[in-house]
Formats: sequence, C-alpha cells, structure tokens
Amino acid sequence: MASHAEITESLRAFVSGYAKNARLKAMNRDWDRVVLVRATDIDSTHTLILKEGELSLREGPVEPADLVVTADSETLADMFYGDITPTEPYMNGTLKIIGSEDDIVRLDFISLMIWGE
Amino acid sequence: MKKVVSVSLGSSRRDHRVEVELLGERFEISRRGTDGDFEKAITVLKELDGRVDAIGLGGIDVYLYAGKKRYAVEDGLKLMSVVRQTPVVDGSGLKNTLERETVYYLREHTDLLPPGTRVLMVSAVDRFGMAEALHEAGCEITFGDLIFSAGIPYPIKTVAELEEIAARILPEMVKLPFHMLYPTGKKQESQDEEKVKKFGHYYQEAQVIAGDFHLVRRYMPVLSGQTIITNTTTSADVEFLKDKGAGCLVTTTPEFEGRSFGTNVMEGVMVALLNKPWEEITPEEYLDLLHRLNFKPRILPLG
Repeated sequence: MASHAEITESLRAFVSGYAKNARLKAMNRDWDRVVLVRATDIDSTHTLILKEGELSLREGPVEPADLVVTADSETLADMFYGDITPTEPYMNGTLKIIGSEDDIVRLDFISLMIWGE
Repeated sequence: MKKVVSVSLGSSRRDHRVEVELLGERFEISRRGTDGDFEKAITVLKELDGRVDAIGLGGIDVYLYAGKKRYAVEDGLKLMSVVRQTPVVDGSGLKNTLERETVYYLREHTDLLPPGTRVLMVSAVDRFGMAEALHEAGCEITFGDLIFSAGIPYPIKTVAELEEIAARILPEMVKLPFHMLYPTGKKQESQDEEKVKKFGHYYQEAQVIAGDFHLVRRYMPVLSGQTIITNTTTSADVEFLKDKGAGCLVTTTPEFEGRSFGTNVMEGVMVALLNKPWEEITPEEYLDLLHRLNFKPRILPLG
C-alpha cells in the first residue's frame, strides 16, 4: 500500500515529466480537462488540471471532473511514477477510468509519451 | 473452386460475394461482416476453419509497422488464434508490396503524384509501405495517426518522427480493445461530425488523401477535387466521395463486380494461389504474383 504522500510525489513526477516535454504540451493545447485521481484503499484524492497545454496538480478534489481515475494506492503511485503503464491495470480492471473513450485513449497516450520507451 | 472468405469486424451491410477466375483457378470470394461483434467474429472464424482455402481478417489489423518494428494488436492475435487449419491473413503482408507498387505506378504512369504533392495519410502505421513509398516519391506528407486515432491535433511530418512516436506508444496501445483505436461496426457507417469540423482542414489543405477507407470516410469534410488513394470501396462509397467533392479515386486492390475488396481478401487469394504458409511468403513472391495477375490500381475520375 502506498501512502497519500507517495501518490502526491508520483503525481509531481508525472507533472514534472509532462512539463519537460514541449511537444506534449503542444499536442494538448486544445485539451482542457480536469482529472480526478482517487485511491480506493486509502483516503487520497488529487486533481490534475490540463489547461492550454499546461498541466498542474492540486491535492484534494476539484469538481466537476471530466475524467475520474480510481485504483488502489500502489497502482496509482506505480503508474504515475512510470513503473507500470496504465494499459495493463486498465485492461484487468485494477484501474478504472470514468470518462469518454476518446479522453481515456488520450490520457493513456500522455502517460506513454512521458514514460514510454 | 477455391473459397476465400473475409471475416470482418465491420458492418454486414458491406457483405459481398463474387466468383472470379485468376491464373486459371476459379475463386469464390466473399465477405462476412460481424457489425463490430468480436464474439460473433470468433464464432464465424471457427465455423470456417478447415472448410475454406484462406481466411482474411477485415476491419482489424493484426500487425502494425513503423520502420523495421512490427507491433501485434492483441485483439487481432486473439482472432487469428482461433483458426487452426486454414491459412488466415490480415492483409499486412500484401499491403507492404501492393501499396508501394500503387504509389510507384501512380508516379510513373499518371500526373497524380508529382514531387511536392501535399498528401494527408489518415493513418500510416497500418500501411507503412505506402507511407515510405510516398516519402520516396518526394511528397510532402502529413501523417494523421495521432489526429484521427487519438484525437490529438498534432500532424506528424516525417517518417522518423512517426517511427519515434510509434515506438513509444504502440507497444501499449496495441493492448487496448481495437474498437478504442479504430471505427468498427456501426461507426463505419457514420461520420464523426465533431472531428470532421475540428480536423477537416487537414483534408482540405491536402491534394491527396491516402489510407484506410473507413478512417478516410469517417472524418471527411467537403472537398475540392482531392485524389483519394485507398483500398476497400463499394458503389455507395464512390457516390459518397462524389458528393463530398473528391476529384479522383484510386484503389489499390482490383475491382470485382463494382467493388474493390480489402487487402486481407486479396492476400487470402494469393496465399491460396501460392499454396504455402503465409509466414513463408516473401515480398518478392507477392510482387511476382501481382505482375502475373496483372493487378493494377483502379483509377476512377469522379469529377
């Protein structure tokens, strides 16, 4: 089980990886989204906010969210640190994403562009 | 008579059956669409296994290519794995040869692809041979893989960048359900109006639009005489293109009774003609067979 602080750190690493990727920012200029990240096994909620290509992180919920990402704390921390890709936990049901199919593909894409080989 | 059947995740409204003679052999070629129903496709494949000479998988790519790397789509592999006796192909082996040849033919025998032609390839990883040939022909290409498959308004401009992005995302994306990446079933019969509005300008800025017909169709705005290079079209598709204002249609596969079949079907025919396991067939053998069959692209002015 990961702690809230560990999830926060993993999300900071994710935001930092995103910030260093100018191409990814350009790709997402049109995609303003609020993404709620919630752990299922501990009390931990964060919000990723994408606005005009820039990604920021807040602790706690920001409503309304366009996408809601839920998983156990370990999966969330592993995923946002880039130790695992979101595809496998998504496919086996460990990771649940509520949102439009297009948005889910795009979120997966961002993660792969930051952490992919 | 040899029987080749294409089992497609696409709409059953496009089903078709023809009989043709190729190199002295009679062929019955047919298509069975399963309207995006994956389980139904598995049932049909099991029914056909051992009863026909070759099976083509349509509406899905099993193998995607970028450079020398090949990526296997897991849903495609699942479909292939249920066929134990009959050769089963997805068209990717033939595409690499046939679609390169189409580009070479157009460059040498027509004025449709002079150097500098602005080409939009709606997706290139499913037909990398065509992408490379267009690049060799000196075309100015926009690869729309991210635009049309992921909704990301980022035109990829070079083969190198296409390969680099593919290497990052495809190893994982191929694990997703195929319908998340490509229009299957009913989606093939409609247009995505929001994306037509958002991304239609990429079509309008191009002189040539190339790639998979279902993708080409789904996001096509009103055109102004552009040439469309694609594979599978029906008479209704030709009417659709005329209504949209396309100037010319080039299909890479030959026409039988008013429609061109998918490359998966044609690869199935070739596998049946060559009578050897598809894994052992080389691009040179496909090329030799294409010449013996005298297959040429169909060029249909629409204006």
